[in-house]
Amino acid sequence: MNNKWVDGFSRSLIQHAARTAPASLSERLEEEWSADFAERSGQLARLRFAVGCCWATRVIAHEYLEPKVVAATAAGPTTGSKVMSAFAQPDYSFLSRRTTAFVLIIGLHAVIIYGFATGLGHKVKDLISLPIDARVWDAPKRVDLPPELPPPPKLTRTIIEVPPTETKFEVDKSGLQEVVMAPPTESQGSGTAEPPPHLVNRVSGGPGKSFPNTDDYYPAPEIRMEHQGLVTVRVCTDDKGRLTAAPTLAETSGYPGLDQGALKLAQAGSGRYRAATEDGRPVSSCYPFRVRFQYKN
Amino acid sequence: MGKQDRAVRMSLQTLRTLESFLENPTDELSGADVQKRSGLASGTLYPILLRLESAGWFVSRWEAVDPASVGRPRRRLYRLTPTGLARASEVFASFGRGVLT
Repeated sequence: MNNKWVDGFSRSLIQHAARTAPASLSERLEEEWSADFAERSGQLARLRFAVGCCWATRVIAHEYLEPKVVAATAAGPTTGSKVMSAFAQPDYSFLSRRTTAFVLIIGLHAVIIYGFATGLGHKVKDLISLPIDARVWDAPKRVDLPPELPPPPKLTRTIIEVPPTETKFEVDKSGLQEVVMAPPTESQGSGTAEPPPHLVNRVSGGPGKSFPNTDDYYPAPEIRMEHQGLVTVRVCTDDKGRLTAAPTLAETSGYPGLDQGALKLAQAGSGRYRAATEDGRPVSSCYPFRVRFQYKN
Repeated sequence: MGKQDRAVRMSLQTLRTLESFLENPTDELSGADVQKRSGLASGTLYPILLRLESAGWFVSRWEAVDPASVGRPRRRLYRLTPTGLARASEVFASFGRGVLT
């Protein structure tokens, strides 16, 4: 930015500000501000000083106007014309209100025409309009509480202590060892010597050592109602102890909640079953086992 | 603007202007001097100076130099009046500043 140009512009601003001040102060302010302007160093400081003088003119003119209006008003009711003439001060702003409004209207029209001509309206519309984000939320699943819940046995009791259960599993030991007769051969009855029967040592499967704890699957409502019982679940496992089919209920305990708890326990234990063996070799098999839910105070 | 002792609205900027003069009440300061001491912008300072002069707290005069010989316009010098000094001291005393009496 050219220094001379800034100086000249600043001086012009000061002169303009001083000349638009009230007439009685105009000459004084112009000389005073010019003298103080000369003491300022730096282009930016001088420009700031000049702009500040423009603002000072507006403030001074406003304060200068007030006493005149008050004096004219205090003169009496017949001096309406004096009051009006007191208000009739020159406009100290750069542009009159009418000119400012006219410029604003012209500018607004220019912007609108420019928007239509360049398609700016579509761009603005695209910017403003957000994509519709339609989300369908699944309704929360309704949890059916057990019918006719009796009141808690003791209202003052706040902590429910789940008692440890005793024997959890009772594996059906009936099939622990079986003797399977080998099928008869064609040579039977022919009078030849029969080969000795082939004995297969079969051990039934069951819950392994790291099987889940029954307490973790004892349904809380059943505990509150002090329900207990024995559930027989039938499972089919492979040679790794993993479930090959969903567990089924072989014998109910009489309480649906306990039955469901046992089925969940059987399902959770997949991979932790002890596979059945035949001659020590793990094989796939199906077998029942029992889960006991026992409530203790 | 007549010289009369009347109430002046005390703003923070007015107080800073008065404080510049109270450093040495007998000094005569130009607008540029006050601006350096107070740090106020010109748009704020000059209305305050005129306001205080109109209220009778300040008197001003032109610098006694010949503009042609010094090569610059004359400066306008402001000085506290006895009334202004008393009023300013009252104002600062009310704020607990303990300035001149």
